[in-house]
Amino acid sequence: MSKKAIVSLLVLSMVAVACATDTAEEEVAVEEEHDHSDESTLEMVLERGFVKCGVSGSATAFSETGADGSITGFDADYCYAVAAALFGDYSKVEFKSLTSAERFTSLAAGDIDVLIRNTTWTQSRDTELGNDFGPTTYFDGQQLMGRNSDGISSSSTLADIDGLSVCTNAGTTTEKNITEGAGLVGATITLVTVEKFSEAMDKFIAGECDIVTTDGSALVGRRAVNDALNDWSIFPTSPISKEPLGPVYRSNDSAWGDVINWVVYATIIADEYGVTSANVDSVDTDAFPELGRLFGANDGELQTIMGLDAKAFYNVIKQVGNYDEIYSRNLNPVGLFREGGANDRWTNGGLIYAPPAR
Amino acid sequence: MIKDTKFFIENPYGRWVRDNLFSSSSSAFLTFFAGFMVIYSYRGIVGFILNPERMWTSVTYNMKLYMILAYPDEAMIRVWLSVGLALILGGLSIGFYNSGKTISLGGIFQKLFTISAVIALLIALAPTNTNVIQNDGSIEVVEIISRDIRMLILGPSLVLTLAFFFLRNIKIKNLFNTAKVNLTYFGLIIGSLYFIKIPTISLDSSGERIIPDPFLPIASTTYIPWTILYVAMLLFFFIGSLLKNRDIKIMARLIPISWFLCPLFIFSWIFKKPLVELNTVFSADIPSILVFGIIGFLIIRFSDNESIGVYRTPINIGFLVLSIIVFLLPLVFIFKATMVLLLLLLVVSPAIATTKEGKRQLFIVWIVSLFVLTFLIRGASSDTMLVTPTGSIFGGFSLTWLLAIFGTYASFPLGLALALGRTSTLPVIRIICTGIIEIVRSVPYITWLFFASVMLTVFLPTGVEFNLIIRVLILTAFFSGAYFAEYIRGGLQSIPKGQYEAANAIGMNPFQRIFLVIVPQALRTIIPTLVGSVITSFKDSSLVAIIGLFDILRIGTSVIPAQSQPVVFIGRNLEQLVFLSFFFWVFTFVFSRRSMKFEKRLGLGER
Repeated sequence: MSKKAIVSLLVLSMVAVACATDTAEEEVAVEEEHDHSDESTLEMVLERGFVKCGVSGSATAFSETGADGSITGFDADYCYAVAAALFGDYSKVEFKSLTSAERFTSLAAGDIDVLIRNTTWTQSRDTELGNDFGPTTYFDGQQLMGRNSDGISSSSTLADIDGLSVCTNAGTTTEKNITEGAGLVGATITLVTVEKFSEAMDKFIAGECDIVTTDGSALVGRRAVNDALNDWSIFPTSPISKEPLGPVYRSNDSAWGDVINWVVYATIIADEYGVTSANVDSVDTDAFPELGRLFGANDGELQTIMGLDAKAFYNVIKQVGNYDEIYSRNLNPVGLFREGGANDRWTNGGLIYAPPAR
Repeated sequence: MIKDTKFFIENPYGRWVRDNLFSSSSSAFLTFFAGFMVIYSYRGIVGFILNPERMWTSVTYNMKLYMILAYPDEAMIRVWLSVGLALILGGLSIGFYNSGKTISLGGIFQKLFTISAVIALLIALAPTNTNVIQNDGSIEVVEIISRDIRMLILGPSLVLTLAFFFLRNIKIKNLFNTAKVNLTYFGLIIGSLYFIKIPTISLDSSGERIIPDPFLPIASTTYIPWTILYVAMLLFFFIGSLLKNRDIKIMARLIPISWFLCPLFIFSWIFKKPLVELNTVFSADIPSILVFGIIGFLIIRFSDNESIGVYRTPINIGFLVLSIIVFLLPLVFIFKATMVLLLLLLVVSPAIATTKEGKRQLFIVWIVSLFVLTFLIRGASSDTMLVTPTGSIFGGFSLTWLLAIFGTYASFPLGLALALGRTSTLPVIRIICTGIIEIVRSVPYITWLFFASVMLTVFLPTGVEFNLIIRVLILTAFFSGAYFAEYIRGGLQSIPKGQYEAANAIGMNPFQRIFLVIVPQALRTIIPTLVGSVITSFKDSSLVAIIGLFDILRIGTSVIPAQSQPVVFIGRNLEQLVFLSFFFWVFTFVFSRRSMKFEKRLGLGER
């Protein structure tokens, strides 16, 4: 071949490949048009054979990506629970890791079926953004953490942080809450804003700020990990904000919403009766008619009306577990316990409560 | 500055020190100041790395996550095939392009002397203590390098330094081929995977972490594939040497083309595992090759036909209109892509198909390109058969690599076209190209990324949804394309006017003039700039972390510091940042060193 031919071959293939790589995958990427108005998400998901679940992928104990790329955590387990209810197989989930900025657009665009990404239930998100919120699975709230050596104790209040510097992540409601809260009690604080909570913690440890603030669950987790139970205190006892976290789905889709809600309720009811994945097979359904109805032991009519298998919630408990199991498995290792907190059973004075299954 | 004592005049080392470090009082000050800064930062970095607070197992334990994110375990052989293909090609090229450069035993000892001297210096300068901040805010001083350890490393390295110092003057006639020496070094690194042991996080059968971490070889799970790949590389090195000795000319062309096609083949077929149905191959691909093969044959056959010459412009415009129509019609994608290739053939054929031999070769090139293009597009446009929990098979380093390679591949021809358009004499083309270049270049890359992730969906018609990765690829192609265009324009303008006139004088048509005379010379002068630009786009690819793609940076800064199971890595973000800086540095350093050698071979700046 002559030099000319080589040059032309290179140019030819370069341009061809450029065109190919630029646009070749368009064809694949053009997704089928989602017609939300006609078809319920439930029918769509059942037809597809797996559920697309939006999670964070980098939220400790809620949805974290393991070393092998698998996704685990409290939120992830609820995704598995939904799949277990729909398909009788918890593994029929495709996770989509979303940043907090893109989670609602992703849900609205139909990229995901349900968003279980430690999302706080607020009025504007519920009404303006076209979402509906499921039952709260975890009650969180913003708290502050400081060093005992600086005179902070767990009985400290916001007034005690007067004159101290506070680290928090920028542009979030966390920042707004602390400035509003400090303003109310007349405390002057120096705000040090960083992009991520882990950076705020790095600054706190290095002594660049006296106080660090974010959701209580994260603070408790970090205190346990750093083995600083005796050195750092979390205050005030009742959080400065309410952060109820739960599943989110698109508005006006009650068939799908009911499925999500009742998956959560089923785990809570099972917990009330002490039914776990270990003893769900030996449960006496005649003695507890509510469990009989829930697990489809008698006729399972309530589930079949919802468009699910009669054994749907039995599968949830069998394959994923009840609320307490999901909680303990994921949150106990980072130092978060139910006892005496807002996430305890309602019979123990907590807020975890489900309507009756009948 | 330094007194002219005997040592500083007669001894070559003393002389060097005097001339280079202390030639005047200001340079002596600079030497001390810079030396202090370097040593201070070095001690700081070592103190940071060896601080007992650091947990480096968080990096090693997540190595697979860093490289391929959630790529399924059962398809791991595909990852190794991808790496293997590159290594085999590397071995073949080293063998085939072996320049026969040799190094003497003394030269090897000289290098070893430098290495052991540097090690001795580094360990001598390393800090003894470092500060650990306690939970209550107090600072504790902790010993990180004890006297015993320092002596244990310093002693042998000093002995070796001395030994190599005398050995380097050894007069042995034995000369070693540098390529073989380098391969041996690589082999030593592979061999060390077996012997050097580090603490490794291991889980027992019930998923509990074994404490303390047992010492296992580096890459305790991957040394077998690495060894196999190394052996394959060696094998292909010898095949390459054999081919060179046999003087097989075709390889000189095949190897660059293979390097060019290798990443495309890896990403579209090996890494992706496409689901290809024979049905579509027979109904779309083969007819497409046949039809376009015949059209191409006709174009080549009659390109220098004099009776057609007058109608050339109408024919070209006709084909352009036809291809626009083809693009708008709902046809199989292969037709559309091949149509672009056909337009290109139409443009280049008058320049090349001037003789019978030229025509024959162009036709072969045309058929081969058709097959390759169809093959790659079929792989790239088919669904993948792999199932991952996250729904995307690209993540971590594989995503970084994908963005860097495809960004470069797509942006180079685009940049060339934009540059030629900008220097064109046709006002419409010139204004459009200048507009694209200036608009793209005047907006920061991050802004464009947000545009791709958020705004592009608003502009596109409903129902048309690109995968985010593809949106970013298109955007990167335009962004680096605009920069390439400006570099290439600089190259074009450096070509003396005489070259244009000479090309005109010997009766070349515009395409021949541009593609045979101007562009090859222009590209040669801007290779350093282009390499710099490629390195930049490699590093810039980590910016996609902010729009939610799981590239290697996002994994390091968000994912790993959030892990609590099976081992708690919460808040371990500093370790990841150090590792990532080192990782990027290794790649860009190797790349720029290679390009320097390449420049030297081309004789840039010398001729």
